[in-house]
Amino acid sequence: MRKLQFEIKSLDKALDYASQELRINKNVIEINVIEKKSLLGLKKLYKVEAIVNVDPAEIGYKTLKEMFDNMQLDAQIEMKRRNDKEISYSINTTENPLLIGKNGKTLENLQFYIRNIVNLYSDEHLIVLVDIGGYKENRKKQLEILATKTAKEVARTRIEAKLYPMNAYERRIIHTKLSDWRDVSTISEGEGQERHLVIKPKRR
Amino acid sequence: MAVNYEKLINDLVQPLVMHPEDLMVKKFSEDDKMLTIQIIVHQDDLGRVIGKNGRIANAIRTIAYASASREHKKISINIDSF
Repeated sequence: MRKLQFEIKSLDKALDYASQELRINKNVIEINVIEKKSLLGLKKLYKVEAIVNVDPAEIGYKTLKEMFDNMQLDAQIEMKRRNDKEISYSINTTENPLLIGKNGKTLENLQFYIRNIVNLYSDEHLIVLVDIGGYKENRKKQLEILATKTAKEVARTRIEAKLYPMNAYERRIIHTKLSDWRDVSTISEGEGQERHLVIKPKRR
Repeated sequence: MAVNYEKLINDLVQPLVMHPEDLMVKKFSEDDKMLTIQIIVHQDDLGRVIGKNGRIANAIRTIAYASASREHKKISINIDSF
């Protein structure tokens, strides 16, 4: 929950000020007066506290729900909280491939958007994960197979292998998978969209 | 029933802005294949809607694009401020 304390001359302006400072929509901010100060009997000064009174996870759920309604898709959304810092949404619709997109691009963007919305309403950074129809689980298995296969090849031929560009999450899966291998090492090269993984043979 | 793209995009942008009264989402042109939508936001909100390296704008475009491709349409979104 986000909070902000400040002093202001007029209560009418408190909401605008809080909205400006917290960078959040006015209608979810609650203003409480803590103290009323009078200076010289004329000028008034209020000490107030602004509270963002919503649950970020619920906001994320609502945003997703509303989005699918607008798209006229029937969607089941399951929300899970692993701990205070991690929220995951698993989605199932009649049009899963459409929402996943090529190489998971649409899903990645959807997750980025929801993560952004959810974190607007939280004072600490939350991890927000979105999955559609178990795509990420399948993808993980695929990547681990790819990693093992390529690593075996590298260990045998002792020639390094370059994998196609992947996002951070996908690269991490491969790094982790190959971290305990004795014959190969992994490194990411290139910048931005071009960032990819290279599997190198280790010197004996 | 056709999807109302103006509403879809409006609802996507709405939570990001601080001046909802200045948010306008308008259909610019439409034919069988192509749909152009114009988003106009308050100057102070422009940065938020576009995001770092245009990532939020990109996310909004991708979501709208996915929805439109179901009706075999292409969608293009322009974002501007007053």
